[in-house]
Amino acid sequence: MSSELYACVHAAEFPAQALLRLRTDLQTVPVAVLDGPAAQETVCSLNRHAVRRGAVLGMTRLEAEGIRGLQLLFRSSEVENAAHAVFLECAAKFSPRIEEASHGTACALVLDIAGTELLFGPPEKLAARLRDEMATAGFRISIATSGNFHAARIKAPATRGIAIIPAGEEARALEKLPIASLALTEEHKETFALWGIRTLGELAALPEVELVKRLGAAASDWRVLAHGSARHTFQPIEPEFALKEFYDFETPVEQIDSLLFIGARMIDCLVARAVGRALSLASLTVDMELDGGQSHHLAIHPAVPSMDRKFLLKLLQLEMGAHPPLAAVVSLTLTAEAGHSSKMQLGLFAPQTPEPSRLDVTLARLKAIVGEDRVGTPVLEDTHRPGSFRMEGFVVNAKPSAQEAGHPRMALRRVRPSHPIQVALGTMKPVAFRDGDSRFEIAAAYGPWRTSGCWWSQDGWDTEEWDAMASSANGEAFGCLLVQDRLRNEWRLEAFYD
Amino acid sequence: MPSAAALRLEIERTLEHRFPAALTPAPKTIYEVAPTGVAPVDALLEGGLPVGAISEVTGLESSGRTSLTLAFLAKRTEAGQVCAWVDAGDAFDPESAAASGVGLKQLLWVRCRNENGLGWAKLWTRLDQALRATDLLLQAGGFAAIVLDLGDMEPAHAMRIPLATWFRFRQAADRTRCSLVVLGKTAYAQSSAAVVLDSAPFWPESVGGTVWRGCKFEARRGRQRVTPQLATARKLPASAWTANVAWDTERRA
Repeated sequence: MSSELYACVHAAEFPAQALLRLRTDLQTVPVAVLDGPAAQETVCSLNRHAVRRGAVLGMTRLEAEGIRGLQLLFRSSEVENAAHAVFLECAAKFSPRIEEASHGTACALVLDIAGTELLFGPPEKLAARLRDEMATAGFRISIATSGNFHAARIKAPATRGIAIIPAGEEARALEKLPIASLALTEEHKETFALWGIRTLGELAALPEVELVKRLGAAASDWRVLAHGSARHTFQPIEPEFALKEFYDFETPVEQIDSLLFIGARMIDCLVARAVGRALSLASLTVDMELDGGQSHHLAIHPAVPSMDRKFLLKLLQLEMGAHPPLAAVVSLTLTAEAGHSSKMQLGLFAPQTPEPSRLDVTLARLKAIVGEDRVGTPVLEDTHRPGSFRMEGFVVNAKPSAQEAGHPRMALRRVRPSHPIQVALGTMKPVAFRDGDSRFEIAAAYGPWRTSGCWWSQDGWDTEEWDAMASSANGEAFGCLLVQDRLRNEWRLEAFYD
Repeated sequence: MPSAAALRLEIERTLEHRFPAALTPAPKTIYEVAPTGVAPVDALLEGGLPVGAISEVTGLESSGRTSLTLAFLAKRTEAGQVCAWVDAGDAFDPESAAASGVGLKQLLWVRCRNENGLGWAKLWTRLDQALRATDLLLQAGGFAAIVLDLGDMEPAHAMRIPLATWFRFRQAADRTRCSLVVLGKTAYAQSSAAVVLDSAPFWPESVGGTVWRGCKFEARRGRQRVTPQLATARKLPASAWTANVAWDTERRA
């Protein structure tokens, strides 16, 4: 008994499947894919609904447009490459040894599944799980398993669903398949047709010596293939793990909702692929090619790697809402970086902190309300310039503050932007000021406190600060910070003490 | 002869359809409190501001309300907790916060945008933005304290905030164990506020008439609907406290 065992996964009409994989709305309508130079396009691939409507391969665009209800899409090599990567990724979950066996518009992979019984059970169960996995990724496939590489490869395209070929039964499994299952030239197909040889079983029954005498050495290989006993040296490929999804719209899309419809499906696929490797998505990059040749770039960085589809989709929605593309979108590319799922040990006595994923969504919503640069953590600049700070992104930091809460300090309430005021000076001190129509008397003024810096650059400053106790006409007293800008020779109301 | 307990039970049963538990005092809710870091104010509030409730700190400019709130946040961040400051008037001063001891890394600052900003921001006034931001933060949970700073807002505008909004905030604060502190010129939350603390004007302190050292403030309890303990001594009506200016490093009682 042979110890070899192979499973061939065959996806027919791959150009159509690749385009429809992310378009769930088109999966129940007849679709034909056009390929070729402009004005000479022909149908290169179609789905089963299109076949029922009478569409056939090789039809011209004009003929295809004559079929009522037939949706026409254009073939995209980028979409097919992205779909092929996903196809390979799904297959790699079942075996690390995979050989490419694609031909024509079909995509086929042969998996070496010898020794996987303990993991996935007998070939029937493995094939069923493989089919479900591919269906989740959006592919309709057929599977054939056999102890012979070529038997599985030849049987899979002719199968609907799953075909299990028991050991030693290869010849019988292949005998009814048409002779076109072999890669024959048109001349040889005609020859076999003249001889009345239509199936692989009839070919396998021919005497080998006589066959080689008439058709050459290649005929011996065909006979062995038809018999299901051809030898093969497995040449595994190395699938590259890249979390990338691409979709090329047939017409430019302006609505964000429509983009999110496709984006949601893309995120689903990315998360499913990452989860298959026990990973999460650490970041998500969105590249949009816009109508007119421009491009639009968005980046989403969750606080912790996540595999929550809804959460990532919400972040994508908020990011797109905050930074919408300036023109209609022609194609959409989602690239993700994988990261390890974070598992945090919670402490019974640890202080409560916001949940990172929920906080990400909250911050994105806050930014949508007040603006991108107006939400975050204030960081004091290393400068003597008064009131100097910058905003940084907020990250949950549950470590106790290094600063101690000491004696309470007088706080300032800034006036942004500061008001220009008119100040009346007494004996080198301000005694009153006018802010608009209101006049304020200054009971006491402490100062001046002079600061200056950056005199060598355009943003230099030279100010004189006064802490003033002022009172309004109705007797309300308050403390404020008055600043004289010595470079511009003007007074400003900077802040109130509170 | 029926005992007193049996008699009370009988009376309560008789009056049950009109007064539930007529002779039994209603149980009081004991709230957890968090210290403000200002000892006289903590004494006034019997421990500090309540956790999981709305507290209002009211007063005009220079009444010490911001200094008191920053002192409260400093105590919260010192314990490793995360806080947020929703700034309706964009008046928050990070330097003052740092000088008060607030851990800025643990502080989320939401600066409401002026309606004269970008075109799309015109849709929201600052007050709307502040309320929406507070709502989001309360719903998100995990914040030990959220300050809704309406200190520069005219009472005529802020009084228009519907009571339903304050009620929702109170419920959310209770659910997420968050101290929601509302800074304003007057009290806005009405019955939803657990504590209202009125800050009074100040008396400046100076050294030799040239250097300003700090201020004295008066805090008066306007309302206290919660109690940190069941049996209390007579409550203080008001207390005075002092805040130094940032450059005065001398520690005073």
